Amino acid sequence: MIPIEYFLALAAILFVIGGYGVMTKSNAIVVLMCIELMLNAANINFVVFAAFNQDITGQVFTIMSIAVAAAEVAVGIAILLNAYKMRKSTELDDEKLTSMRW
Amino acid sequence: MDVPLLSLLVIIPLIGAVITLFMGGERQKYAKFVALAFAAVTLVLALVVLFTKDFSTLDEYYGWIDTAAMKMGISFSVDGLSILMVFLTSLLVLLVIIFSSAESDRPNYFHTLVLAMEVGLMGVYLASDYFLFYIMWEITLIPMYFMISWYGGPRRHYAAIKFLIYTHVASLVMLIGIFAMGFEVASMLGGPVDFSFDVINDVMPMASETMQSLLFALLFFGFAVKMPAVPFHTWLPDAHTEAPTGGSVLLAGVMLKMGSYGIIRVCLEALPAGAEYWQWVIITIAVVSIIYGAFACIAQKDLKKMVAFSSISHMGMVMLGIGVLNEAGVTFAIFQMFAHGLITGILFMVAGMAGHNFGTREIPLLGGLAGKVPVYATFMMIGFMASLGLPGLVGFWGEFGVIFSFYEFIDANNMIWMIVFCLLSLMLTAGYYLWAMQRTLFGPETTKIDLSHVHDVSKTEFAAMAVLVACVAFFGVWPDAALNFIEPYAHGVASLFGVI
Amino acid sequence: MFIEYTWLIPLLPMLCFLIIGFVGQKTPQKGGYIAIAGAAISCILAVLISYEYLTGDAYPAAVTESIHWFTIPGGFEINVGYYVDGLTCMMMLFSSFISTLIFVYSLGYMGEQGERRKRYYAEVSLFLCGMLGLIVSSNFLVMFIFWEVMGLCSYLLIGFWSFRHDDGDEASANAASAAKKAFLVTRLGDVCLMAGLFILLGEFHNLDYASMFDPANIAAVDSDKITIAMLLCFGGVIGKSAQFPLHDWLPDAMAGPTTVSSLIHAATMVKAGVYLVARGYPLFVQDANVMLFVGIIGGVTAFIAATMALNNMNIKRVLAYSTISQLGYMILGLGAGGYLMALGIQHGDAALIAAGTAGMVAGCFHMMNHAFFKALLFMCSGSVIHACGTEDMRLMGGLRKHMPITSITMLLGSLSIAGFPLFSGFWSKDLVLDIALEAGDETVWFTVLWILAVITAFMTAFYMFRMWFMTFMGEERENAQHCHGESPKSMTMPLVVLSVFAVASGFLIMFGLDGIVGIEYTGAAFVVGGAETEGFEYFSELFTNPYTYLTIALALIGIGIAYLMYVKCSINPGKFNKNGESWLYKALSNRWWFPQLYNQISWKFGYGIARGVDYVDRQIIDGTVNGLSGAVVGGGSTVSKMQTGHVQDYSSIVLLGIAVLSVVFLVIAMITGGI
Repeated sequence: MIPIEYFLALAAILFVIGGYGVMTKSNAIVVLMCIELMLNAANINFVVFAAFNQDITGQVFTIMSIAVAAAEVAVGIAILLNAYKMRKSTELDDEKLTSMRW
Repeated sequence: MDVPLLSLLVIIPLIGAVITLFMGGERQKYAKFVALAFAAVTLVLALVVLFTKDFSTLDEYYGWIDTAAMKMGISFSVDGLSILMVFLTSLLVLLVIIFSSAESDRPNYFHTLVLAMEVGLMGVYLASDYFLFYIMWEITLIPMYFMISWYGGPRRHYAAIKFLIYTHVASLVMLIGIFAMGFEVASMLGGPVDFSFDVINDVMPMASETMQSLLFALLFFGFAVKMPAVPFHTWLPDAHTEAPTGGSVLLAGVMLKMGSYGIIRVCLEALPAGAEYWQWVIITIAVVSIIYGAFACIAQKDLKKMVAFSSISHMGMVMLGIGVLNEAGVTFAIFQMFAHGLITGILFMVAGMAGHNFGTREIPLLGGLAGKVPVYATFMMIGFMASLGLPGLVGFWGEFGVIFSFYEFIDANNMIWMIVFCLLSLMLTAGYYLWAMQRTLFGPETTKIDLSHVHDVSKTEFAAMAVLVACVAFFGVWPDAALNFIEPYAHGVASLFGVI
Repeated sequence: MFIEYTWLIPLLPMLCFLIIGFVGQKTPQKGGYIAIAGAAISCILAVLISYEYLTGDAYPAAVTESIHWFTIPGGFEINVGYYVDGLTCMMMLFSSFISTLIFVYSLGYMGEQGERRKRYYAEVSLFLCGMLGLIVSSNFLVMFIFWEVMGLCSYLLIGFWSFRHDDGDEASANAASAAKKAFLVTRLGDVCLMAGLFILLGEFHNLDYASMFDPANIAAVDSDKITIAMLLCFGGVIGKSAQFPLHDWLPDAMAGPTTVSSLIHAATMVKAGVYLVARGYPLFVQDANVMLFVGIIGGVTAFIAATMALNNMNIKRVLAYSTISQLGYMILGLGAGGYLMALGIQHGDAALIAAGTAGMVAGCFHMMNHAFFKALLFMCSGSVIHACGTEDMRLMGGLRKHMPITSITMLLGSLSIAGFPLFSGFWSKDLVLDIALEAGDETVWFTVLWILAVITAFMTAFYMFRMWFMTFMGEERENAQHCHGESPKSMTMPLVVLSVFAVASGFLIMFGLDGIVGIEYTGAAFVVGGAETEGFEYFSELFTNPYTYLTIALALIGIGIAYLMYVKCSINPGKFNKNGESWLYKALSNRWWFPQLYNQISWKFGYGIARGVDYVDRQIIDGTVNGLSGAVVGGGSTVSKMQTGHVQDYSSIVLLGIAVLSVVFLVIAMITGGI
């Protein structure tokens, strides 16, 4: 059996990559994809702990989480598309998008 | 009877509201007929309820949230306190729909809002579960908010948001009070937190005096803002000035009564010891409201604002009756609520009509209207006379009874001089109404506004006001018609207190 | 058989009010005939009821019938019903009779008013309903209701011309202001009356005359409370009957049509206050000091009002002041009689009680006589105004030739009010003076009041004849020259009928009137009527009394001076007042500055405080609210600057936050030894 630490390490690496991407990338699409990475890191943890603890709840939650992620991406993309339609930009640092703050 | 009458009273306006909501476009000119039909059916049902001999047969209970920790039900019941308010609500809603039949700006939404308001109001008056009561209480706010901010005058957004925030803050405080009562009762009885009126109103009076006084303060604040009592009243004149006529009628006619209804239903029934603890505070607030409102009326230049301040004064009268804490006081406080609802309907219709018929409500710009629009002048005069307490009209008995019970109270406390305040208020009331009439109806015809195209009361407006005038006269000549409902209830409430 | 239908008496005019109000414009005379019919039927019914009552077995006990109306919790019963006794009979007879005549007169006087007549006839019918209801009601609360209905009607009728006045805008503004003043000033009295009723209701647990006038019930009640209550009730009388210091609305009320003035002054409205005192006698006489107060107010009013009439140039205003003055007499008579009766009850002295009864008779008797001659005088003045188109006496003069009937009937009325021997006013006025003098034996106050009243009698004779001479004698001045001549029959006929009563009603006292209206105290009950009548003894008493000759002489002197001043012109009135420059003249024309005083009080007290309250409302309360919301909004917009709009900034802060929290939790866990 593969030790649990490997899975956790994988999840942690994925999470950190995702977090790095969210904080450094300026393209909104990329940021969105990085968020997905972080979510998936969490999903891996769920599944692993579920398998490890012989408890099905974690698996159920993963499915829930995937569903939420899908919905979130849909909403996120929709927002981005609209923002692009109106502001002609997906660059997060762009003045055109930051001016939407208040 | 097997028909769930009380639920129907809530559901029928709700169906009406939904239907009118979807009557956009071409169909919107028929919205008023649909709304009229639903409001009429509601009124008929309310009358059926009114003539039911034993109200307890009408009680309804449907489980809603029933867990080991918490119990909330959708339950309705009606008694001597709520029945008059239910009747008043259904009547005023119907009359508002008739009165506003000329509304041409998105009439379907207007009627949706009116019917939605009826849902909330009926819910508040019929609910017999604190949680349902609170939800219905909040439901009334939303249509009113949109009514003001869509159909209102020039400062409508300011007025609408002020109204919403003021009353919402108050109801949050009230919510805390309601939760506190629920948990207190649960800790006294053990078992789940049950929010039904029966349980809480039975058990809460046995709680400690400190607890009751504390909760009374919270709940009383919530209700007093709604009533409104000085110094928490400033949302009212603004809301009234900006609201459309129909909205003002409902706002003053039945929504303000939610406050006094709540005080009697919750503060007196559940927290008698708290009421006794705060009695003098209630009376002080009441007297201040009466006098302050009356004086403020004198200084107003806007007809509608004057009527709004007069509502503050008259609702102060209701609070005075409540503050006396005896049977006569509570009886006539409820009667005054009912009377004020009828009268203020006429007053706001009249004041609102000045706005759309003459183009201005500024008293200094008006004058000599009696010659130009005699029917309008007649209604205005009847409304004002009823409101200033002319015997033979319904307003007199409310004031007479309340002041008399107040007299009995201060006589027992050897403070008979306090009657001076009441007499002063009667005098001031007559003063501002007559002065307003002198400046609007009588004297030389105004030249400050163009009167050449002014038209008198239209048929629908006439019908709405005539019904109210008939009610005002009927209950004025035969007050027992309303007192018969109130007295058994008031007797029950008064038995919670030492003095009857 | 008729007496059970007493409730119909106020109901008939009420019915007329409704009929005229709804369909009046379709009937001939715009409802005039309906109003007359209603008043006339009420009058006939009143005659039948009075006849049945006075000849019935029950007399002198009051016949009363009540049904339960509603209950105020705490055992306070409110009933509604009728109450018939001698006083009721007298009141309803003269009220309905005079009203009928006034309505007939209105056909001519208001004939040119077109569609407005509908409103006029509806309102006067309601007015009559108010008065008759007040008279026949069986308890104070119902009486109070009709009392207020009458207040409303007086408001409407005084303001009848408050818009679209024939004489222009200023006149309509005046009428509007006068109507408001009348309602507000009487309202001030009414709230006092209401407070009095609260006290009485609280003590007696109901307001029925039948139980309240029972000495056993009165004895069971705290006497201080009754004293306060009756003083407050008298406040209502001061307002309604235009007594000092609330008398000022009545002269202003002349802004209404003359028929309305006649109705208010003769048959209804101001008589209600006097009636209340007479009706409440059993309660009023419980404290002599209350009655002393009543008497003082009456005497002072009589005097002050008469002074103001001395130099007024408006024919209707002179009559208005004379009404106030005569009302003062009535109140003085009732007060003096009540004072004696109160002392009599206190000391158990039957003679004093009998004197008190005579005082009450005097007051009521004067009320009736005054109703006849004042209705006559007002209608005559209306006839004159109708013909001349002005109310200013300086523009009249010499009208005797143009209007023979009016001038003669008005002369009869003036003689009557001036107290010319054998005319009706003479009998009752001297009776009042006689009682005041008798009460003067007990306290010096009434002696002073008697002197005031005697001076008033002199002034009355002077100003009434000043008015008559200026109007009908002398040279024809401006408006008199194009006068239309005598008024139509519908106007002169009532004048003739009334003048008969104005002359002769005084003799009723010798045919048993005193036995019908006088209140007797037997120790076990207060009974109105049924007493022994003095009959012709009054005649001999009056003419053996030296003071009677004093008043007759003064009246004649007054008439003589007026004659010399305004017909012969041998005395120049300007000599006394320095041609209108003396302070007294100014004080009188300014009505002793009462209107200014009222204005100052209402502006300073009413509007001044109102402005202050409005300021507090807008600036302080609303200022606090708006300030609070401003603070929240301002704070929010300051903090919102933290939002840079860069997503990365936000996520960095989130990460930082998570890091900090993790560290904190770790530290806490380590400290508590969790790990």
